[in-house]
Amino acid sequence: MRRQKAGQIRIIEAFLAVLIVFSSFTLSTGLTVSRNADRRDDLVSVGLQALMVLDSDGGFGKSITESNWTGLRNQLELVLPAGVSFNLTVYDSQMNIVNDAIVSNGGFSSQEVSLVEYACSEQATTYRGYVIHLYLAVTT
Amino acid sequence: MVLLALSAMAGTSKLLYPYVDNAADENVAERYREISRYLLLNDGTPADWGQGGQTIPAAFGLARIGSEIPYELDINKVSRLSSASLYALNYADIFTAFEMPDTAFRIEVKPLFTANINLSSTFELANETTYQFEILTEKHGIPVQVELKCYVVAENYLDSSLALASDGKISVNVTLPNDINGPALLVALARSAYDVRIASFSGYAFAHNAREPSARSTFLRLSPLNYSFTASFLYSPANLSSAYALSFSHNSTLTQIANSNESASYQIPRFKDASPTLIVVTGWNATAFFTEWTAYPLVPVQMGADFAGSVARSDVFAYTYMVTINSVIYESTVWLGGPRE
Repeated sequence: MRRQKAGQIRIIEAFLAVLIVFSSFTLSTGLTVSRNADRRDDLVSVGLQALMVLDSDGGFGKSITESNWTGLRNQLELVLPAGVSFNLTVYDSQMNIVNDAIVSNGGFSSQEVSLVEYACSEQATTYRGYVIHLYLAVTT
Repeated sequence: MVLLALSAMAGTSKLLYPYVDNAADENVAERYREISRYLLLNDGTPADWGQGGQTIPAAFGLARIGSEIPYELDINKVSRLSSASLYALNYADIFTAFEMPDTAFRIEVKPLFTANINLSSTFELANETTYQFEILTEKHGIPVQVELKCYVVAENYLDSSLALASDGKISVNVTLPNDINGPALLVALARSAYDVRIASFSGYAFAHNAREPSARSTFLRLSPLNYSFTASFLYSPANLSSAYALSFSHNSTLTQIANSNESASYQIPRFKDASPTLIVVTGWNATAFFTEWTAYPLVPVQMGADFAGSVARSDVFAYTYMVTINSVIYESTVWLGGPRE
């Protein structure tokens, strides 16, 4: 009698196990996985592309020479995707910090910060080269 | 025993899954990223496929021919993505030219911020009526400080005004004499106060001495291409009165260069300022006056596969880029998807 009961329980166990395995397969294959590429790994690409587009008319170097930090901040706010925090530091050719005001849209709440390094110059009679460090993080 | 074995299997798979899945995902993501760049950085075959209204590209690419600026797109190629155009490419044509049978895609090009116009109040006097509009400029709910150029078009009437929306919100008053026929149209061109290349626009048709205006593209289908545009009559007979090309700093009354029973054509001037060009056409349909408008390039535009409604078992990746069209910066998103690997 006991052996019969034990056998029945094992059959039920096996049946449940098969059911669980197949139901998990069925559920998982029906899912559509959607991912946004604007993740941390892609922030460098997004930031570099934004700087390249903004500097395509040479206006970036001009804004730096004119110390138009508000303008730079607003430009970056418009071209960077929503939910991305940034902090921009401008260095001259001797790597001295040029910007005397913070160019940022707020503090970083994320530990995962990406750095974009970009070089630009002012299109004028006097050559001025700048190195830009743009720190980016996804707002959490 | 069975439960123990299952628990062990589940634990092992849970531990290994991120490593196995991420490696495959990274390869797919990298492949799709390169494809999205290819679409925006290559001009396709023939390189000038955008200029011919009936040309179907053998290879698909949206870049402007000979551009020295990365991610500069061709105004005509982008305009041909819009189903509103007579010269629009269909998805099947692009999919064939795309030459990747395992990859579905969707492309969107739109201004970096939105401009919305709302009629807030009307003041009617004996000889004239004043309309008060509220114009909002924002990006993802954040106000955008802009300079605004507003044009008002009615029958044989064109007026413009300039304003600054310092906090992304402004009231604009439009006064029209009561002897002018409507419906009238208010179009607003907005550009960032910090970068003139970042621009947006909007239009708002309103009743003035007339019934409520019909929806856009009721009377005419406006198809700009190669610095001219075709106004196809959707509601015959139609009699066109005036056509205007409007940019932020310039405007021009257009001269008809061809016409038939079904359509009329006009040339679009090449304005030098960094601004989308808005085209406004006015006319009469039997007894009703109408205004129709469109933008050149034809944006915002979104074309391709609908991934949101898809029940396919696929991975979908989205890549966003800043692109330039005629010195104006737009946002372009490319979605790519294929069978899950």
